[in-house]
Amino acid sequence: MSVRLQSSWSCYGIVLPSLLLLTGFVYVPVLWAFVSSLYAFEIGAASRFVGLANFREYLSVDPTVLPSMANMLVLTLLAVIMRLTFPLVVARLIYALPQERWRYIYRIIFLVPIVVPGVAVQLIWAGMIYSDFGMLNELLRGLGLSHWAHGWLSDPDTALAAVALVGFPFVGGFEVLIYYAGFSAIPDSVNEAAALDACTGLQKFFRIDIPMVLSQLKLILILTLIGGIQGFENVFILTRGGPGFETTVPGLWMYFNAFSFQRMGYACAIGVLLFVIIFGLTLLNMKYFKSSEELQGVR
Amino acid sequence: MKTGQKKVWWIHAVLILFSLLTLLPFAFMVNNVFRSNAEFYHAFFSFPGAFKQVATITGRALVGDDTPVLMADEEGDLVPVSKGDALGRSLDQATRGPRLAWKVIRPYMLNTLIVTLLTVTGVLLLGSATAYILSRYRFTGHRALFLFIISTMMFPGVLTLVPSFLLVKWLGLLNTYWAMVLPYIAGGQVFAIFVFRSYFEGLPEDLFESARIDGAGHVQIYWQIVLPLSLPVLSVVAVMNILGTWNNFLWPFITNTEGSHHVISSGLFVLATTAHASNFSTLYAAYAISSIPLLVLFIYATRPFIRGVTSGAFKA
Repeated sequence: MSVRLQSSWSCYGIVLPSLLLLTGFVYVPVLWAFVSSLYAFEIGAASRFVGLANFREYLSVDPTVLPSMANMLVLTLLAVIMRLTFPLVVARLIYALPQERWRYIYRIIFLVPIVVPGVAVQLIWAGMIYSDFGMLNELLRGLGLSHWAHGWLSDPDTALAAVALVGFPFVGGFEVLIYYAGFSAIPDSVNEAAALDACTGLQKFFRIDIPMVLSQLKLILILTLIGGIQGFENVFILTRGGPGFETTVPGLWMYFNAFSFQRMGYACAIGVLLFVIIFGLTLLNMKYFKSSEELQGVR
Repeated sequence: MKTGQKKVWWIHAVLILFSLLTLLPFAFMVNNVFRSNAEFYHAFFSFPGAFKQVATITGRALVGDDTPVLMADEEGDLVPVSKGDALGRSLDQATRGPRLAWKVIRPYMLNTLIVTLLTVTGVLLLGSATAYILSRYRFTGHRALFLFIISTMMFPGVLTLVPSFLLVKWLGLLNTYWAMVLPYIAGGQVFAIFVFRSYFEGLPEDLFESARIDGAGHVQIYWQIVLPLSLPVLSVVAVMNILGTWNNFLWPFITNTEGSHHVISSGLFVLATTAHASNFSTLYAAYAISSIPLLVLFIYATRPFIRGVTSGAFKA
């Protein structure tokens, strides 16, 4: 490693554009969020310092806070369950194939859908579960179960479940590749020792394979938790939070407050609260930064 | 590892089932590109009628069957038409959706291309330059600089979404490419810096030492040593960045208040929620066409894709 101090000024000059952009488009908005959350501020009107009133209002008066937090919890937990199981099983099955050619082909098959824009995927799914001329309902009618067919996303009883089940069978190419990388990194000696001890099948899966990909599982877990707490694009596209507040999540409510009701300060307060939750999780999992950095070297 | 032949067939069966279920929505999409609304209403589960028609006409032509083809005229009555005419009308019907869709999304595609090119260029240049300095030099504030960059990773998008909008509005950048490009470069370079930094640290110091002895400056070392040696990692970062930029929906949707600079993601949403939505084939054709550029990139750069997605775990 080189130590060259005399060229410090040119070093500063080269990193300057990076720093300016980070300051301008990351640190300034972060500070702005915290400051704004203490103001009542609508575009076009004067802003007024209100202290913690935005937070108080959100946590005690806002009618959406309980249902939206509950929805967020349900959607996040379901997402965690899906992403820790289906792709893991698929990755393990791919890993078990003896021929590298097939292992490659299946990895490609599950990865290919990432070329379709995420918005399009959500919209296609919306088309598949529409009440009229959606694939699911037509299928039910075809099977003589037309009394089951209904607007999955518009019925208050099924809307949340429908949002959660979009993406079935939840075998994302990203997760499959991560888990597959984990399985591939299991040393041959471990597999050989397991074989010698006649540890095979499900027993090997639970006793050896899963512990060996624990860091990958933790990584997907934390990514899914963070994504679930702050994400609302899918809900926005599928239902816009409706019917009523049945599928509203806090992030979506922040969006509506900012861009539909023009309550920027209030929206920032919701953003800050979500950040606090995510930050708490991050602190709990500080070591994941390390484990994910290690992952980089993995093919 | 040894796996019995019978077991292998079981694994294939399960994997194929999962593959089919995973690809089902996309098959649904492609099939619907060529189907009229009428087909949607009367024969939901079927292949495009226009294609069946083409197959029938071709089949008849091959066996020399001169039965005239019956097609609906303007009033909806079935009248006999010549084979060539029928063929032309079938193809016209099949391609109606894609043609309409292309007309609508062409400006979105162009905008996406411009934004993506500007972003990926900026991220590669700034990211690699900063990573070069961070990995090859030690200077006062080195550690602080690194912390400054790494700390940005703890701020989630949900915290900065609203103030970033206010900032871009204050800067007068709403409805411009810069509203997207500048924040994308600012955010995207962080991932790039980490990937580049760990790669550059692995390059032998002798290279740099001898270049410096020969009197090479930063620019020369960067252009003549660092960049040529980093092509594989450059492609990984480029692919990941393109993927992210292409998929970003909410930010372009918010910052294009006048709808003049929509990119493909926000444009598709606008398309799906406006009058065009009443024509299914136009919608599905728009989804399908918008997937083609990344599909081409995927086929052309499969390995960087795989490596990128695996290392993309770091992005959070």
